[in-house]
Amino acid sequence: MATPDEQDLCLKCEQLLQPYLDRDLTEAEMLIAERHLDDCGYCRKRYRFEEHLRRYVHEIRDEQMDPALKARLVALRTPLV
Amino acid sequence: MTLLLASPQVSEELPDGVAARRIAAEARDRVRFEEEALALSDQVYRVARRLVSSREEAEDLVQDTYARAFRSWKSYTPGTNLRAWLLRILTNLNIDRGRRVQRTPDIQPLEEGDYFLYNKLEESTPDGNAEEDRVVERLSQDSIVDALAAVPHDFRNVIVLVDIGDFTYADAAQILDIPVGTVMSRLHRGRRILKRELAATTVGGE
Repeated sequence: MATPDEQDLCLKCEQLLQPYLDRDLTEAEMLIAERHLDDCGYCRKRYRFEEHLRRYVHEIRDEQMDPALKARLVALRTPLV
Repeated sequence: MTLLLASPQVSEELPDGVAARRIAAEARDRVRFEEEALALSDQVYRVARRLVSSREEAEDLVQDTYARAFRSWKSYTPGTNLRAWLLRILTNLNIDRGRRVQRTPDIQPLEEGDYFLYNKLEESTPDGNAEEDRVVERLSQDSIVDALAAVPHDFRNVIVLVDIGDFTYADAAQILDIPVGTVMSRLHRGRRILKRELAATTVGGE
């Protein structure tokens, strides 16, 4: 069972999760997050999960553009005679 | 080859040769612009498809975007980010449509923190304390598509541009004509809303 101090650190780490993955933390904040992640399996799992999720969203299923749409876009060009 | 590019204001005061050269140069610039813009159409469509909920809407949006881009090509500055320029047109058109059709600002408070989705998935995974790759397997591509579609426009726009389209905060700010700080706060909140929706579709909400 985590102590109240450890719970505070987990809460702090949760707040730092998004800016951490965005590489948008100050050096001091980065140090807080990394020290805590070294010791805390609970937060480590959640950070890794978030990384997976970001990748998943990034690779969201692609639908190919219909060739008919591409043809319609080409037809919008200024005509050359 | 004859170019159908009437430009009367150029030819009025200039000697014929100069006017003809200008018209020809403008035609070359225009052709180059159109070709570069068309080469980006798959990427533009990819973003459009995630901004709106149906394929038909995305196709209309892309077509309207290119019609407008080809009309106002002179306002594009060569050498700048053409993909961002096209997407600015696209998101403006989409916002105009949104104002007409549906405007659903997310005004409800969002109490869940960033661990919320993981906690929900872990709780409902048979092996309660599974490794994170087992937990992430609970999510499907379909669930992400559906959850993203449920995120309100303003937040979805920034997620699609930054997390799917790989635009920087600064580019997204320029495309959406909002401050960089607003991009960051909408992204932060939008990702949380996305996770809330994922929890609802995958685990069944509260």
